Amino acid sequence: MKTTRWALLLVLVLGLFAAACGDDEEEPAGGSGAEPAADVEEFPAETTMGRIQEAGEIKIGVKYDVPPFGFKNPQTDDIEGFDVDLGQAIADKLGVEPNFVEAISDNRIPFLADGTVDLVLSTMTINAERDQEIDFSEPYYIAQGRILVPQDSDIAGIDDLAGNRVCTALGSTYEATLKEQAPDADLRLVDSYSECLELVQNGAVDAVSTDDVILTGMIIQDDTLKLTEGEPLTTEPYGAGIKDGDTEFQEFVNGVIEEYKSGGGWAEAYEKWVGQYTGEQQEPPTMTLEEAIEVTS
Amino acid sequence: MNYLFNPENWEWIVTGNNVRFILQGFAVNLEIAIISMVLSLIAGLALALARLARWTPLSVAAGTWVDVWRNLPLIFIILYLALSIPSSWRDAWEDVIPSWFPEGLQSGRVVAAILGLVLYNSAVLAEIMRAGIQSLDRGQNEAARGLGMSYRQSMRLVVLPQGLRRMVPATVSQLITLNKDTTLVSIVAIQEVMRHGRIVTSANFFGGVQAPVLQVFLFVGLLFIIVNLALSRLSRRLEIRERKRTAVGEVKGVRGLEEQAAAGIG
Amino acid sequence: MGDYISVLTDNLDEFLAGFWVTVRLVAFSFVIAMVVGTLVAALRIAPSKWLQRIGGVYVETFRNIPLLVLLFISFAGLRRAGVGIGPWTAGIVSLGLYTAAYVAESLRSGVFSVSKGQIEAALSLGYTYRQTLRRVVFPQAFRTVISPLGSLIIAMIKNSAIIGVSLLALPDLLKAARLVQSRTFETNEAFLWAAAGYLVLTGLATLTIRVLEKRYAIHR
Repeated sequence: MKTTRWALLLVLVLGLFAAACGDDEEEPAGGSGAEPAADVEEFPAETTMGRIQEAGEIKIGVKYDVPPFGFKNPQTDDIEGFDVDLGQAIADKLGVEPNFVEAISDNRIPFLADGTVDLVLSTMTINAERDQEIDFSEPYYIAQGRILVPQDSDIAGIDDLAGNRVCTALGSTYEATLKEQAPDADLRLVDSYSECLELVQNGAVDAVSTDDVILTGMIIQDDTLKLTEGEPLTTEPYGAGIKDGDTEFQEFVNGVIEEYKSGGGWAEAYEKWVGQYTGEQQEPPTMTLEEAIEVTS
Repeated sequence: MNYLFNPENWEWIVTGNNVRFILQGFAVNLEIAIISMVLSLIAGLALALARLARWTPLSVAAGTWVDVWRNLPLIFIILYLALSIPSSWRDAWEDVIPSWFPEGLQSGRVVAAILGLVLYNSAVLAEIMRAGIQSLDRGQNEAARGLGMSYRQSMRLVVLPQGLRRMVPATVSQLITLNKDTTLVSIVAIQEVMRHGRIVTSANFFGGVQAPVLQVFLFVGLLFIIVNLALSRLSRRLEIRERKRTAVGEVKGVRGLEEQAAAGIG
Repeated sequence: MGDYISVLTDNLDEFLAGFWVTVRLVAFSFVIAMVVGTLVAALRIAPSKWLQRIGGVYVETFRNIPLLVLLFISFAGLRRAGVGIGPWTAGIVSLGLYTAAYVAESLRSGVFSVSKGQIEAALSLGYTYRQTLRRVVFPQAFRTVISPLGSLIIAMIKNSAIIGVSLLALPDLLKAARLVQSRTFETNEAFLWAAAGYLVLTGLATLTIRVLEKRYAIHR
């Protein structure tokens, strides 16, 4: 009797294993499903590009919970977003499949350093500090630090934050920025922005501050929220993260990004992921890497 | 109240992938619980034996180790490990793990989670095991020695089997606690039931229906209650069976074990 | 070595503030746990089957649900439903109700450990059922449960860290460690001092319980 019970429990557990496994077997690579170009350039084996082509896949670190730049669609299990589309374009140029890995803010730099990923495309702001540990591509998107509030809020800008509860992520650049620019604000720090969204939606905080990109994702999910007018808190040029010192790969990625911008891919992605929700227009960024580092220091 | 029972708020259960998505996350929790439990049992036994060793430095060292880990919050341990585990360990995990393992367990971050759970639980289990072994009537050990067995033989053949059998119900109780503790790994971004629940609540962005937080997490809570209730029934059956089996002899302090485990609710 | 000391002294305010937040969380939750736990225990031993069942449902629900899920339900869930509950309230009530289930169970076994003979004697002396409970049973029951209560308090100290880390975003001791770490990148130092803080708390709790045990506890 006792054995039967244990056996039953074991079967239950294995059953759950199987159920979970079975559904995960077909893990789609994500991205917009573009066909790899027939005329793909072959790269020498000692370069990163060659190594990736050998491996047949490029590992790209993206966010899984930041629509519309990197997120996992629970209905389809696909990874989608602006960053993801750019990643797909880079993979296409190499003629390989992209393998999207979740990279949260804490571990994206370590992941590059130890080779867990070949490239990071996860709403990562270019700044001098990070540039010391990794290399960046040219900026591929210029986000801005803004403030998100409910539609009926009185808060119109940074100065109004004083005395109000503002949410941002623990350890993010905004923690420092807000302490500097809004020292009298009541800062609520959480682990991830999805928590900030929850808090502003249920009224536990009065405002959220981070990249407008992330804030846009929140507005898409809940249109009773809006961005305040007024000066952006910061300028955040996003760059692709590349392992420190790999100048060849850096050049390659820059080349792909250039093509993406001039060939219309950027504009398409922008409209698809941002423009159609915010109603705003934007040109592909022309800022250089040096300028980006300047701006953020 | 209206909000709670409004059928619109429960519509998400029957539409789209939502329930399956949550169950997939839940499976990850259970898997992590089982893996951690197995490892904790092994480590816990080693610690308990070290604790009972006759060589004082070992016993004191083991005792201190157990006391430290038992008294720290589990989430504290997990977060600390998540921040300080060298990435080589994470890599090693990702290399070793077979691909038929579910996706939630593929990431190297799971190392921090499981290591944290094992460090903590092995300490708790070590105490439970120690109490179980010590609750055994001293007469058993003496009788065994009187029959000519060495310390090791007496432990192996007489004391341990009985002592460990005694703590099976308490261990199952600890498994229940461990089950609950697996939700903490969501804080280190492991894709388990809490994360999946949160994603479902934002499902309307992805073309699903509005899934309110209250309802979704009541559902998640229910999942845990069901599984843990089954485990606790099991534990009670085992305890009753133990008492019947040892009704002839003294059953000293078995109750204490259950309580101790139940009291180890953190 | 100098590093460790400087991390503490430079961030002492942060650590102390977090320490006191933890203390407050545990203290208030303890009160709720004792009050609600006693009520539920009374339900569990009531002569009515229905009351017993209600108590049973409470205990089974709150013992088997993870605290984190409870926090989500009580804070995010309720707020979305229109209830304006704040993070402190949600945290303290959740931890209190959660622990109350265990308090109830401990008290219940404490009650059962009071020998039937005493109850019969009290009743035959003319005490009403309620008086018997109040004057004979519960006082002894409470004294039996001092040591399990000690474990519960330690568990609450540990569980308080979950409250801080969840979306309630309360600035407790663990949060202080993480803030200091994200500012200084001195992971080991920051966490060591926070660990020391937690061990101090659990140590104090253990000592207090031992003293109380010596003076009051009944061992069965």
